[in-house]
Amino acid sequence: MKMSRILALAALLAAGCANVAPYQRGYLARESMALDPNPGMAKALEKTYSAKEAASGGASVGGGGCGCN
Amino acid sequence: MKAALALPILVAPTRAAAEGNEIGFNLLGYKERGLMKVTEPVLWGRGTIAEVWDVEASAAVDIVTGASPRFVSNESGKPVQTISGASINDRRNTQDIKVTRHIGDFSIGASRTVSDEEDYNSKAYGIEAKLDLNQKNTTLVAGYGKSNDRVGSTDNPDLHEPRYTKEYLVGVTQILSPVDLIQSTVSWARGQGFYDDPYKFTVTFYPDGSALAAPDTRPDHRNTVAWLTRYRRFFSDANASLQADYRYYHDDWGITAHTIEVGWEQALGDRWSIRPGLRYYTQNAADFYSPVIPQPAPAILSSDQRLGSWGGLSPTLRVSARFDSNWRIEGTLGYVQNSASFHWGGSGSEAFSTLRAVYGILGASRFF
Repeated sequence: MKMSRILALAALLAAGCANVAPYQRGYLARESMALDPNPGMAKALEKTYSAKEAASGGASVGGGGCGCN
Repeated sequence: MKAALALPILVAPTRAAAEGNEIGFNLLGYKERGLMKVTEPVLWGRGTIAEVWDVEASAAVDIVTGASPRFVSNESGKPVQTISGASINDRRNTQDIKVTRHIGDFSIGASRTVSDEEDYNSKAYGIEAKLDLNQKNTTLVAGYGKSNDRVGSTDNPDLHEPRYTKEYLVGVTQILSPVDLIQSTVSWARGQGFYDDPYKFTVTFYPDGSALAAPDTRPDHRNTVAWLTRYRRFFSDANASLQADYRYYHDDWGITAHTIEVGWEQALGDRWSIRPGLRYYTQNAADFYSPVIPQPAPAILSSDQRLGSWGGLSPTLRVSARFDSNWRIEGTLGYVQNSASFHWGGSGSEAFSTLRAVYGILGASRFF
C-alpha cells in the first residue's frame, strides 16, 4: 500500500515537471551536483554519525549492522 | 550497540555524470573529547565492464581506542554517565561489493556486505532495481535487503545472540530543470532479535538508602522508517551548487528524529572547490529510556544516552581539487557537538552528557 502511494506520487511529480533534454544537462552532470560524489567519504561519514545517533538509513538497503559504540 | 546501516547500496544516480572507472582511498580520523578515538582507512573502487555491468566495492578497517560510556548512576544526587575505566581496543573489518546489470532503461543490482568485530558480526545482502523513465528525467528505484547479525560481548564469551533485519526501499529521482534535481527515498526495516547493549547498565540509589543495578534491556524487535529527500541546485552566476538533505526517521521504540544538512559547494576556478556545510540532528527519547530505575523496575530499560532526547550540530569544511582530470584530492574537517540543549522544541534529557568531537578525512582518487 505504501509503495503504491509513493509510486503514484512519483508519477504525479514526473508529470508536473518539464522535460530536460540530454544536451541541457551540463550543469546537472557536474560533480558538485552529484547526490553521492565520493562513496568512500560518504560511508565513513555515515558510520561516524550513525554510531552516535538513534536514527540511520534512508538512502540504501542491505548495509548490515555494526557494534558501534 | 545498535545497528548502524553503514555500508549502503547507493541509490541512483550516485553521480550525475558517468565518469568511467575510479579507485580511491580515504583516511578518517575521529576523536571525541575524553572518549573514543577512531581511525578508519577505506579503499574503494567502481567501474564499468562491457558497457552494461557496473561494479562497486570497498574495504575498510575501523581501529577504535579509548573509553566508552559504561553506566549511569545517580550516586552523586543526579544521574551521571560514567565511562569505562579500562581503555577499549577494538577493530572492525568490513567489505562490500555491488554488481549492477543494465538492460536498456532498466537495471538490477545485487550487493553483499560483511562486517566482523570481536563482539559483532554482520552479513547482509541487497537487491536494487531501477527504471529510467521520460528520457531519464525520472528514475524509479525499489530495493530489498536482509542482514543476519550476531551480537557478542568481550565480557561474556557465552553471548552469541542473533539479530535479523529485513529492509525495503522505494524512491524517485526527478530532474526538475536544467539546474536542479531532487531525490526522495523511503526505507523501512523490520528487525527481530537481540538489541540489548551488553556493556551498559544503570545504577540507582533510592532515598531509603537501597540501591539497584539493572542491565541494559531493550525490546526484541525494532521497526523503523526513514524518509530521505535530497535536493541539488546549480547557480551558474556564482558557479556554485546548493546541496540540501532532509531525513525524517521514526521507529516503534518511540524515537522520532530529524536530520538536516545544507552545503554550498563553491568552485574556485577549474580545479579547486570549497564546501562549507552544516548538519543539524535532533531526536526524542525512546519510550524505555530512563537514566534512573523507576520502582517497580520495568522489564525493559536503557540509560544509553544515544536513546535519550538531544540534538547535535556539526559544521564541516571540505576542500577538493582535481589534477589533470585524472586525480582528485579531498580534505574534510568537521566538528560535532551533541547536547541536550540542542534538542528541537525544548531541553532534552537532563542526564545527557555533552559530546564534543572533531574529525578529519583525507581522500585521493584516480579516474582511468
